[in-house]
Amino acid sequence: MSWWSKLLSLPWVMMICAGLLVLTGALALYSASEGAWSPWAEQHLVRAGIGVVLMLVMGFLPLRWINRMAPLVLLAGILVLLALPFFGTGSGATRWINLGPLNLQPSEPIKVVLVLVLAKYFASRTWDQFDSFTTYLPALFLIALPVGLVLMQPDLGTALMMGVGGLSMLFLAGLPRRWILLGLVAGLASLPLAWSQLYDYQKARVLTFLNPGQDALGAGYQITQSKIALGSGGLFGKGFLMGSQSQLDYLPEKQTDFVFTMIGEEFGLIGNLAVLLVYFVMMGSVLFVGIRCENRFGRLLCGGLSMMLFLYVFVNVAMVTGLMPVVGAPLPLISYGGTAMLTVFLALGLTMNVSLNLDKDDTEII
Amino acid sequence: MLGGGQLVLGAVLAGRLYQLQIAQSDTYQKLSDRNQFDTRLVPAPRGRVLDRKQRLLVGNSEVFELNIIPARIGDLRQLLGQVARIVTLSDADMARVLEEVAEKPEFVEITIRSDLTQRELSRLAVRSPALPGVVFQKGFRRLYPQGSLFSHIAGYVSPVTAAEVDEDRLLRRLPGLQTGKVGLEKAQEQALRGEIGVQRLEVNALGKPVRLLNDRLARSGEDIQLTIDLDLQSFTAKRLQQGNSEPVPVSDPAVQRALSRDARLRSHFASGDQLVLRNSKGVLTPPESGAAMVMDVETGAVRAMVSLPGFDPNQFASRLRERDWQRLKQHPRNPLLNRAIAGLYSPGSTFKMAVLAAALEAGVVTSKTQYFCNGHFEFGDRKFYCWREGGHGSVNCRQAIAQSCDVYFYQVALKTGINRIHALASRLGLGDISGLGLPGEKVGILPTREWKMARRGTVWTPGETVIAGIGQGFVLSTPAQLAVMAARIANGKKQVTARLLETEIAAGEAFAPLGINAGILNEIRRSMRLVMAGELGTARNYDLSESQMAGKTGTVQVKRITKAQREEGIIDNLDRPWKERDHALFVGYAPYKKPRYAVSVVVEHGGSGSSMAAPIARDLLDFALRGDRA
Repeated sequence: MSWWSKLLSLPWVMMICAGLLVLTGALALYSASEGAWSPWAEQHLVRAGIGVVLMLVMGFLPLRWINRMAPLVLLAGILVLLALPFFGTGSGATRWINLGPLNLQPSEPIKVVLVLVLAKYFASRTWDQFDSFTTYLPALFLIALPVGLVLMQPDLGTALMMGVGGLSMLFLAGLPRRWILLGLVAGLASLPLAWSQLYDYQKARVLTFLNPGQDALGAGYQITQSKIALGSGGLFGKGFLMGSQSQLDYLPEKQTDFVFTMIGEEFGLIGNLAVLLVYFVMMGSVLFVGIRCENRFGRLLCGGLSMMLFLYVFVNVAMVTGLMPVVGAPLPLISYGGTAMLTVFLALGLTMNVSLNLDKDDTEII
Repeated sequence: MLGGGQLVLGAVLAGRLYQLQIAQSDTYQKLSDRNQFDTRLVPAPRGRVLDRKQRLLVGNSEVFELNIIPARIGDLRQLLGQVARIVTLSDADMARVLEEVAEKPEFVEITIRSDLTQRELSRLAVRSPALPGVVFQKGFRRLYPQGSLFSHIAGYVSPVTAAEVDEDRLLRRLPGLQTGKVGLEKAQEQALRGEIGVQRLEVNALGKPVRLLNDRLARSGEDIQLTIDLDLQSFTAKRLQQGNSEPVPVSDPAVQRALSRDARLRSHFASGDQLVLRNSKGVLTPPESGAAMVMDVETGAVRAMVSLPGFDPNQFASRLRERDWQRLKQHPRNPLLNRAIAGLYSPGSTFKMAVLAAALEAGVVTSKTQYFCNGHFEFGDRKFYCWREGGHGSVNCRQAIAQSCDVYFYQVALKTGINRIHALASRLGLGDISGLGLPGEKVGILPTREWKMARRGTVWTPGETVIAGIGQGFVLSTPAQLAVMAARIANGKKQVTARLLETEIAAGEAFAPLGINAGILNEIRRSMRLVMAGELGTARNYDLSESQMAGKTGTVQVKRITKAQREEGIIDNLDRPWKERDHALFVGYAPYKKPRYAVSVVVEHGGSGSSMAAPIARDLLDFALRGDRA
């Protein structure tokens, strides 16, 4: 392939969308600090720059080489998760690891690595193996291990996304329908057990989700204020820097998990829908790379990554609109938070790499 | 398939956003405002009331409010308990404060008391270091510098009532606000109150005020200028109060003895103007009660309007103490009643002008027609007596008015008929409100045949016309109406009505024509002049030497004189219990030639119109005219 056609086949739509989202984020963060570049907006753009570099590196590294490294990286990640309780940081939940200037949340990139490893695993099976349950068992184990560790941190949101994202890989790989059904039933049946395993603050969040008005100044405060901010934004919003809920600090975590709310307050339904549209176009273009891909690995990887991106957006938006309990999930590329951003650029880089290897055979890249 | 699932879920999110941001946007908009702003109302200083020469009759004084900021208070109930030990706090206050604290953001100041006394203020100031979250703020309180002198004209303000709150929800949020309850304060409430301002304090989530927005500036109430002359008003009150008695210094041991012995005298003394009089028989008595009004015969401008006894409206403007309220309620002569507009009295002989005018108009008598008075008039099986035992002999209309011959008017009234008397008296302003525009004014009774049928369900009898001829029986009028009547007779052209506000005078709205023949009015005026100047005039001793005046006395029986009493000889008024003494009335105007002021005086149980009311009326007219010359 020539250099020129390589450039043309890159997923430009996806990258443009990512750029738009980063800029939206910078704008929102500028407003969140009451019209100042520091401390958030500036840093956000710097991180995005690093993210782009990461994306390019991931995009142009030989895929086979990445695949070789993936299991090792996953293993390392799991080890880090295991070690986190001993030297991690974070208020209430130990989910952060402090690496000098970088405060990393290892569970985030592990999501991508998990998808990568699962894609590799399934791509290297032969067709006849997909009807046997034993094919899926190692995959389930691969999913359950990090999910369990993240749950113990405890980080319900990330665990949920990782679990659903991983399971959707099984679905993509071709897990027979009856097993999926079985799994759903088992999952529902285990809800009471899961409930008993939740921490008090997690239970409180779930209860609050079910009835946020009951305790409007306590656990329900965030979601109540978020709904007020969104609702009062109306169709066109209150205007840039004019969101009273955000500017007067009624809205908690407006620069991270509730940034979507802030956009809604200042730019209204129009602003929110525009952001969602850009996200869906980005996910669509990731999926489109997978659809065009001729190898199973690429298709599985892009499907999984698109699902992962979708879960980020869905969980966050459902949370701030009160459709889901507050679980602590960022809005990637817009929220202030480096790990999620880098994770997304990582995923975008992998997608880019797949787009450069559309016509390769599975055996050439694994 | 995966993409489809994502799109469906994406649509769910969009739907949710639509629900929040479009469908329920209004609700959330309100909630957002409630978060962002603490709306507070700013009271406007109430308008002042001034006399015709811009002298202050009603104003405002600065007072201190006691507020709390719940955010700085740990245990609210405990704090309120502490505060209650230092200042008076009613249960209602407590309940209101607790309710407000519950519904407002905790950094908002809440008023506990809006009228701290000097003593409470100093006591609180000393203890304030031990009372975190307690702050003071300046406010306004209504001030009535003239005390009881204007109690009935000004009325008073007091805290907003539940009924007013139902009408205007805004009022509820101003615990210190007071609204007019009676008198001018009530009648002119809207103008005096001004416009309540609205301020929004923008507060952040931590309760820190960010900035103050004035949505609507408070606009202070309008000042109201009255037609009243403070000097004349003051003189009128003093003169009426004193009657024919002499004031006795309170330090006099006789006064002290009488006060300790006589509970009734004491109750007057405690709530009234601390005045004790000695009457012509040497008996210590309370001040006279009744009403007097002086008005301009051209413009209707009321120069003085006094009702006695009065009360101190300042008692209401601060919190009315139970003791004061009990005193007002138990006062033997109801100080809260504005007798000038709501006191109903038989007009007695002052009604005779209306009867005579009606008769002349109807043509049933002429100025020359004479009737013979032998001291009584027999009609049917009843005997109607003239006030003068032995009678007046032959009298024409002028003599009848001047000497107030009852027998003449019994017969003239009978000939004229009640409905024609009604028609003429109506033009003189009787049976109608005087136009003062004060709440609670009564119209009295100016009967007709139809009125009696409608009210009593029985037929009007000629005997009732006879008694109405001397202004007794059903006829009832207020002192204000009597003054208006005198003014209309004096004016002769227009149906002058009483006016209390200078703005009304300035507007100069035209009065309706009086509609009484000039010849008839002339006859009436000459007759009234003879009351003062005639040889046998009932008020011959009380004419105004310089200006000359016209008038008419009235002495109204409040208790029927029995036959036995009449044979024994009628007991002198002062020897009767106060309640059984006659009311003393007088209406008149001066100067006779070029009328300027009309006057009405009613002294409750004051004895006789000639000896009690006439000299008072003369002095009032004299004072008013001298005031103009000065």
